Amino acid sequence: MAVDLELKLAALTEATLAKGLAVFRQHLQGAEVSYLNACVRCGLCADSCHYHRAEPELENVPARKLDHIAAVFRAHCTPAGRMLPGLVGAKRWDRDMVRAWVDAVFGRCSLCGRCSINCTIGIPMPSLFRAARRALGAMGLVPDDLQATVENSLQHGNNMAIEREEWVETLEWIEEELQAETGDPGARIPIDQQGARCLFTVNPREAKFFPLSLQASAKVFWAAGEDWTLASDAGWDLTNYALFTCEDDQAAAIVKNLTDAMTRLGCQVLVIGECGHGYQSARWMGPEWLKQAFPFPVVSILELMDEYLEEGRIHVDPTRNPHPVTLHDPCNLVRHGGISEPQRRVLRRSVSNLVEMAPKGLENYCCGGGGGQLAMGQYRHRRLKAGGIKANQIRATGARIVAAPCHNCIDQLGELNKEYQLKVQIKTVAELVAAALVTPLLAEVQP
Amino acid sequence: MPSPLVFGVLASAAWAVTGLALLRIEASAYGRRALHAAPAGDPAAGVRYAFTGAMRPGAKESVREHLHSYVAGLAYHAGIFAALGLLVCTLVGWSPPGLVRMPVQAFLGLGALSGSSLLLKRLLQPELRGLSHPDDFVSNLLATVFVALAQIGGTVWLLSAMALLIYVPLGKLRHSVFFFVARKNLGAFFGRRGVFPPGGAHGR
Repeated sequence: MAVDLELKLAALTEATLAKGLAVFRQHLQGAEVSYLNACVRCGLCADSCHYHRAEPELENVPARKLDHIAAVFRAHCTPAGRMLPGLVGAKRWDRDMVRAWVDAVFGRCSLCGRCSINCTIGIPMPSLFRAARRALGAMGLVPDDLQATVENSLQHGNNMAIEREEWVETLEWIEEELQAETGDPGARIPIDQQGARCLFTVNPREAKFFPLSLQASAKVFWAAGEDWTLASDAGWDLTNYALFTCEDDQAAAIVKNLTDAMTRLGCQVLVIGECGHGYQSARWMGPEWLKQAFPFPVVSILELMDEYLEEGRIHVDPTRNPHPVTLHDPCNLVRHGGISEPQRRVLRRSVSNLVEMAPKGLENYCCGGGGGQLAMGQYRHRRLKAGGIKANQIRATGARIVAAPCHNCIDQLGELNKEYQLKVQIKTVAELVAAALVTPLLAEVQP
Repeated sequence: MPSPLVFGVLASAAWAVTGLALLRIEASAYGRRALHAAPAGDPAAGVRYAFTGAMRPGAKESVREHLHSYVAGLAYHAGIFAALGLLVCTLVGWSPPGLVRMPVQAFLGLGALSGSSLLLKRLLQPELRGLSHPDDFVSNLLATVFVALAQIGGTVWLLSAMALLIYVPLGKLRHSVFFFVARKNLGAFFGRRGVFPPGGAHGR
């Protein structure tokens, strides 16, 4: 992999370097320029990063990663950097700096934003790491496997290149399972239901590898009597890996699948399944990428389940989840999405014993799978090592089940489960709610 | 007619203020991103929290785990502000009464001590040293000497003030402006998303 990068670096022309720098500058707004002027390199951010906590070395300090970017900014965009480069640490944009950027922003960062909260100054570092990723993307330096995921979404409407026929057949099969589970032949997984209130979107991994989580969500909708649908064509996949390649035009094209499906089907609410980056992409970044406000609300299924319970539309029996459960806080959902309480309220009602991690919520550690890390094979070793911090957090709770409202996190947690011998089950929140559901029909089926 | 020294300090201060203002204007010239997503929380509440609650040790692991550096940083900045206050008094020819001078002297003493300890930390900790540029040492040294000499005043102190003020827009001391800009943006960003203050948007 390192050889691949070196080949790409060797092939860089002066024009490509200039293009990367131009794209970087173009991406900067007043806020980002202020951040680049603000870091005092106090180093207190070091241990806020799970990479640094797992491997305490200089290159893992968030301020160091930021400084690689700031050094180029100082050299090319500030008088002090041009006149006194040695004094202020300014460095010209060359192959060495490109290599440092790739390593820092792709190889040692999951864009979790924990450093922002802990920064003495208050610098939202991921915004600058995104600018750097975007510049590298313009130079063709996004890791191939990450870019391939984006290409799948652009070409097939979903990141796993699932064809329409396969998707619809999977849904029909899950519907049969749902009917058997609920004992209700009317329990449905509606497809392309024109005018349904909610358009539900999922991570393609649910169709491929985790049908039970999709079935669980459907069961909750069934119990709540929700008017919902899935799209059969583009517009059912909530993921958007262009959030991680930071190529905004591609991100816009992908999120447009969702807005087009909302228009096509005439739905009122866009419901994002359990996926952190999918939520941030649709709820927060989508309108920015498309440069327009959405004419409909975007909500997480966690918020919806919280509402159902609050309004008495569904009822749960926590004793049906008797084992200790802990909750993982996906960075894109909690720190960048603002959704930290609904899932807690839902779980407090649905499980017998919720044991919180320490720290939790806004301060929780990234599992290590964010920022596109799961799709970048060359950094797998680092990802698993950095995930050791999360593994320790889980082990300390003594929980037997980890609720993770994000399918990317679930993948990473699954790997951590094996790597660190955690011996836990990993489930979505909907799976736990579905297991605890109490309805008259279910009472007959499951006495 | 001000003395040449006082004139020098005033000219240095004018340079510093102008330099910082230009830097701020230059940053603003990069433009401002229009936001389209419907807010979940109140950006203003986020900004208030960013400048208050978010800086408490209880809300910040980096502070909790580095309380010594945090306290030293606070004392250092208190010393710098005390020295700047004293400089203004000196320039306008007003001598603070003894009751005021005593706490000011205490701030200056603690500030100088804290500045020195932070400089030592930067020199001695390999990781922090690796993170540093010459600018980090120069900035600390200039500010610490300025605070330390404020205790005795006189010509050398005014010269140190001139050196410090001239350096302000050149190196990282520009954070005297950009700290506030960055923190305001952080607060507005997280406030809008309902992250700041914690539990705000979805709390019941």
